[in-house]
Amino acid sequence: MSHELTLEGIDRSATIAEAQDRLLGSQTRGGLLRRMAALGAGGALAGGVMAALPQVARAATQNDIDILNFALTLEYPAAAFFTEAERNGALSGETAVAARVIGAHERAHVRALRHALGPKAVKRGHYDFGDATEDQQKFHDAGIWFENVAVGYLKGQAPLIDSDAILVVALGLHSVEARHAAWMRRIGGDVPAPSAFDAPITRESAISQFRARGYLAIEPKTTVKKRAPTVTG
Amino acid sequence: MSRRRGDGRRGLVAAGLVALGLIGAAIGVVAALGSSGSTDAPPAAHAATKHGRHHHRKLPPLPEAPAPAFKVGKPIYLKHVGDLSRYAPVLRVVDALAEPRASASSVAPLYTTTSDGTTNIVLVIGHPHTDAHGRVWVKVRFPSLPNGLTGWVPRNALGLMVLVRTHLVIDLEHLRLTLLRNGRPIFSAPVGVGQPQWPTPRGSFYVRDKLTEYASPFYGPIAFGTSARSEVLTDWPDGGFVGIHGTNEPQLIPGRISHGCVRLRNEDILRLARLLPVGTPITIK
Repeated sequence: MSHELTLEGIDRSATIAEAQDRLLGSQTRGGLLRRMAALGAGGALAGGVMAALPQVARAATQNDIDILNFALTLEYPAAAFFTEAERNGALSGETAVAARVIGAHERAHVRALRHALGPKAVKRGHYDFGDATEDQQKFHDAGIWFENVAVGYLKGQAPLIDSDAILVVALGLHSVEARHAAWMRRIGGDVPAPSAFDAPITRESAISQFRARGYLAIEPKTTVKKRAPTVTG
Repeated sequence: MSRRRGDGRRGLVAAGLVALGLIGAAIGVVAALGSSGSTDAPPAAHAATKHGRHHHRKLPPLPEAPAPAFKVGKPIYLKHVGDLSRYAPVLRVVDALAEPRASASSVAPLYTTTSDGTTNIVLVIGHPHTDAHGRVWVKVRFPSLPNGLTGWVPRNALGLMVLVRTHLVIDLEHLRLTLLRNGRPIFSAPVGVGQPQWPTPRGSFYVRDKLTEYASPFYGPIAFGTSARSEVLTDWPDGGFVGIHGTNEPQLIPGRISHGCVRLRNEDILRLARLLPVGTPITIK
């Protein structure tokens, strides 16, 4: 069975590919038309679907929902990475402490974003971090990357957020991720603050970096239909 | 006119006085804010003049910061570390070795798929090991004869790690199956187990896969494949694997009735199927 780590291969998980399509498409004319159509359909469903949405999702523009979902798309693997590292129990010293604390924060971020977005939240994907959760040096490298990409994309998205109230949340996440990045750099032996200015990164850059890391995975096929058992009975 | 050294020094002194004045003004503002509270109008700034008089200049009020659209709750620290297990798919055919080094003897080959056509998964146990060459090894449990073998494989031979919080316990003496989650029982049911000549093997195993929508009333509506193998029916098709499944003879449960499999009444296997994830470790005692 092939476990090729391609973006197309995980379309069933509807994570990065869905978020990417949404975000990239929302800035095209076609995306705008789709959004208008969705608003029309949403109006027709107002009685049921809208009532189930959390207040944040109901009040937010589609642009802001997309930005929050993009943030969630990258918070999922970050939380999974630190969780797996802690569970594996292979880290030691301050690195192990960092995995525990940062993981606790990232899980809280995931929970908050999912609660805010309700049924509009993107789904969690499947991630394969290889031995980056078992090898201390590789953990440092990956941990620094996760936090840097979070800081960069939040910085890039902030000016595009329609709602000041959501911008405040994004800035709150941004500063925490920046602290994580500095901590991971320090315990990895790097200068915590290497430069006087941090440039934002684009959504496309965040996605291409994530793809290059090869962390996306497809769910193992462990259920089969219409095949008689051959166990002893 | 050229600048003389004295002019430069007077300039420095003047600059210092101005700086001291600004610092003093700032201290005054901070002190006033501390005593007046946030709801009062900001205090006037005091600018010292050369005659010692103060001009009161009101600072424009700053807008209140917007409230966040939502808040992030408390950090979520992991609990139940001891109740978690992990499994991973086998990405490429690899030998499980006796020790975490390339030169160790082979225990058994591991393949990428099962005879059911599902992804071959292994249970990851213990802590990983990094060898002198920087290669990470993990210890895994896999189906074997004799039952209970473990071995080491390179981490890169496996795919994503999947965490599992459940544990299935099958009590052969009391003919009872219990499913625990985070160490607590969440489901229990009577079971049929192997007849004396075809005993259900005791030991540590795991759920390998799940089969559904097949037309075989003998196995009931759902069957789980496990890593346990019959130590007697070794020539059974596909290796004599022990399963957990339903039955078309519910009246025989509980009892020692099977060829080694663990049988549940159909209503019980359906309830179990909603709670039991693949990869769950199994203890048969």
